[in-house]
Amino acid sequence: MTEVVDDRLLLRPAPRRLRLDLIVHRLVLVAVIVGIWWLFSLSVPHYILPGPTRVWEALKLIAGNGDLWINLGITLWRVAVGFVVATVVGLPFGIVLGANKRAGEFFEPVIPIMNTVSSAIWAIFAIIWFGISNATTIFVVFMTAMPLIITNVWQGTRTVNADFIELAQVLRMPDWKVMTKIYLPTILPYFFSGARLAFGFGWRVSLVAETIGSSSGVGYRLRQAADLIQTDQVFAWTLTLVIMMATIEMGILKPLENHLFRWKKEVEAQ
Amino acid sequence: MDTPAVVQQTCADAGHTSPAISLTGISKHFAGAGGEPLEVLKDINLTIAEHTIVGLLGASGSGKSTLLNIISGIVKPDRGRVCICGAASEEFNDWRAVSYMFQEDRLLPWRTAIRNVEFGLEAGSMPKAERTRRTHEALQLVDLNSFEDAFPYQLSGGMRSRVALARSLVTEPRILLMDEPFSRLDAQTRVLMHQELLRIHQLKPMTIVFVTHDVEEAVVLADQVAVMSPRPGTIREVVDIALARPRDPTLPEVTSYIQRLRALI
Repeated sequence: MTEVVDDRLLLRPAPRRLRLDLIVHRLVLVAVIVGIWWLFSLSVPHYILPGPTRVWEALKLIAGNGDLWINLGITLWRVAVGFVVATVVGLPFGIVLGANKRAGEFFEPVIPIMNTVSSAIWAIFAIIWFGISNATTIFVVFMTAMPLIITNVWQGTRTVNADFIELAQVLRMPDWKVMTKIYLPTILPYFFSGARLAFGFGWRVSLVAETIGSSSGVGYRLRQAADLIQTDQVFAWTLTLVIMMATIEMGILKPLENHLFRWKKEVEAQ
Repeated sequence: MDTPAVVQQTCADAGHTSPAISLTGISKHFAGAGGEPLEVLKDINLTIAEHTIVGLLGASGSGKSTLLNIISGIVKPDRGRVCICGAASEEFNDWRAVSYMFQEDRLLPWRTAIRNVEFGLEAGSMPKAERTRRTHEALQLVDLNSFEDAFPYQLSGGMRSRVALARSLVTEPRILLMDEPFSRLDAQTRVLMHQELLRIHQLKPMTIVFVTHDVEEAVVLADQVAVMSPRPGTIREVVDIALARPRDPTLPEVTSYIQRLRALI
């Protein structure tokens, strides 16, 4: 075998030094933002814009008395339930709509219509149907996340390569194996990006739902703090949410995606 | 569902030997563009002996790929009889002893080289340990064991082609069907793949039927070349290539075969 060894293999590992630079950049960015915040807060009453130290005290207070963890847990639990139900419904629906042309054509207008309905409207419907309860928030998350998951899975199903199906056919592979070995891996990247989007949206709309249709959770506590003009607590809650979403996104979802889809050609690395 | 524990390497059965493949009176129509049926194959008769390499040579439209698909059982002929190892195609039940290699490599991009080879065995219910052993063996056969964990996008065209070949061989087929398998490769890599295929054929006795429109490829590889003529597809002549291997396409005896076949197309 005199074939030249492909050198693309040797270029794989990402340079380490660059990542350290990145961390420094991020820290500087955070410092700049906090600095600007602090400067503005000096000339404004604290109930309009509390300074960083005030917010830090408020954060320590709600973290100390357990308020933070209980409500964060409740909200997270509601988002997770709505999201899981949306996946359980959306995944098979998306596959069927993508695999069956007639069903796909028939239902095609439903998805954009569902997407145009604002989450606030779903929240109002939810209050009419479910009252002040967990179901209200879960329903709103579900109605927001499901169309996103269906759309993405649907798209993914349409990209299944007919050549691979034919390959499975000449190997005399049974249908269920074609499903798990060819359809599923093809759909997975589409499902994953849909799920990520749905989780982010679900999290945001859950707060809207909680402000008007709940007596617990982060959204409820945000509104309560605003009503009592505890602006420092409003900021503390907001900060918690930002940190949590960033942690989930960069600490879990991004690395998971990188690992699952490492077989994809890295375009941006060139 | 089940894969026989010992794969027969021969059609020899109860004392008598039958040809690997025999085709009698095969005809096939497709629905044409204007609605009238298009005659793709007309009265094809061909007998392929065991362990030989046979090339189906013809211009485009001669129905050679359709004929290969009929042999593989994925396309049914309108008329005629296909026998694999003496058994009628409809009754033949050991299709996993027949491998098919496509024009494109068709590697699954989300699987590493070794897992792509393993895919060839996943239709059945072979135990994992046996599957792993066979997969490594097949990858070793095409000399790619140092690249087993590479994803397809990391491999060159020739390497990808070898992974596809290993996937076809991992089932230890008695018959290997190839549809212009190396036509997408550059000339140099194609020559390497020809050598590779002939080397493997020496090691593993099997019947190879390949489709090509490249006369030189047909002469370099085949024991017999069936020359097909188009519209409707018929076999014009079966030419025996009585030359020792390796066959250098610049040698006069090889070029004389090439010229003879060119004149027939």
